[in-house]
Amino acid sequence: MKRYLTALAFMVILLMGGMGAVALQKNSSQAQNDQKPSTSNKSNGQTQEVTGEEVFQANCARCHMPPMSIPQRATGTIIMHMRMRARLSRQDEQLLLKYMAP
Amino acid sequence: MGLCFSGSLLTAQDANDAENHAGHVPVISGGMGYIHNVNGGVTTLSPQINPVLLVPFGSHVLLESRTDFIGFFQRENQTTGPFTGKVFKSVDYAQLDWLANSHVMVTAGKYVLPFGLYNERLVPIWIRNLQDSPLTAAIGTRTSGAGDGLMLRGVVIQKPKYSVQYSAYFSALSTINQLEAARTAGGDASIYLTHPRLEIGTSYQRFLQDREVNNVSTYVSWQPAKTPLDLKAEYDYTHTGNGYWLETAYRFERLPIPTFLQRIQAVGRMQQFFALNGGGNSLPRINTQKFDFGLNYYFRDDLRLVSSYGRSFSSQADANVWNVGVTYRFTLPLWPERKK
Repeated sequence: MKRYLTALAFMVILLMGGMGAVALQKNSSQAQNDQKPSTSNKSNGQTQEVTGEEVFQANCARCHMPPMSIPQRATGTIIMHMRMRARLSRQDEQLLLKYMAP
Repeated sequence: MGLCFSGSLLTAQDANDAENHAGHVPVISGGMGYIHNVNGGVTTLSPQINPVLLVPFGSHVLLESRTDFIGFFQRENQTTGPFTGKVFKSVDYAQLDWLANSHVMVTAGKYVLPFGLYNERLVPIWIRNLQDSPLTAAIGTRTSGAGDGLMLRGVVIQKPKYSVQYSAYFSALSTINQLEAARTAGGDASIYLTHPRLEIGTSYQRFLQDREVNNVSTYVSWQPAKTPLDLKAEYDYTHTGNGYWLETAYRFERLPIPTFLQRIQAVGRMQQFFALNGGGNSLPRINTQKFDFGLNYYFRDDLRLVSSYGRSFSSQADANVWNVGVTYRFTLPLWPERKK
């Protein structure tokens, strides 16, 4: 039990460490957001435009880092594979294609 | 069912393809690596390569297959003598996909069983943060981790604030070499909350041969936007036992430290398994607890050093588990780019 409490404490510390980084990043994230193109509104004025990078962060990044070394001519095939694996919508697939093979 | 959703969407989809420069050529992708494992004093050397063949037919049909070639070498007398062993090969999946539309994608052939987080998403050597599988990995994946038959999957609904995904499948019993599968039926559903980047899901499977049993899994996956933290947790239940694992991984990329140290990822995992009805079916036969701590170093997004230390506790024996290795993800287009 003692050992397990130690392990539990470690996990909590790791989690806290990650959360603590939020504070460190608050200023830099703010600066980055300022530099990004503002999210444009569609004609109905309600739906925000989603970018391919956001789709990547929301779906692909759940399991792995951004693959920066994929040849462009293979990107369409890889994203078909990942659309199947990650159960992505057709809309998300198109946004990912624009993001990874613009 | 899939036919209901297809049809007129195809023309619009092809038009969208012209808006990027992505190619659809056959590809061999996958992972390879070498893991040096010491478990309770017994050393195992495990080189492996897991190529994935992807052959697209247009932008809606995909043939895909993954084969594992895994070396398993141990000393003749476990702790003494020369290393001996062999290379095991297995076909993880070989399937034909029809990406009809967002709501329905149809898979036929041998496919990876969509049960919980681990089997479908985290098995590849270049993805998993810790090389040892969770204690409950065998729940819902008997007998080979794959099913032979038909699977439907897709997006039920997608809104700016959330989306709901599903999978449903039926697998027939097969004893054909490299196509082994059990007779099962089941499904998986998850909801993803966009703003907090939180996914909550559940899987159900009915094992339909020998002793018919229910297998259930619930899982959570969370990657907060403002910090490179990855938290995953899963609870699994079957009639021979139940258990959970909780894993956190944190990349140092945003810490105010030298650049070469920002490539480090720290990982921690704790898990408990409680045997029921004698355990078995690839699960521990006694209650077991384990924690792991790992450090991974990313040279690039596709190349990393991995290392971990774990200790397992049970009434039979406690044991230290060490892993050190290297993993690499590769992508090889097999065809020149088509002229558009």
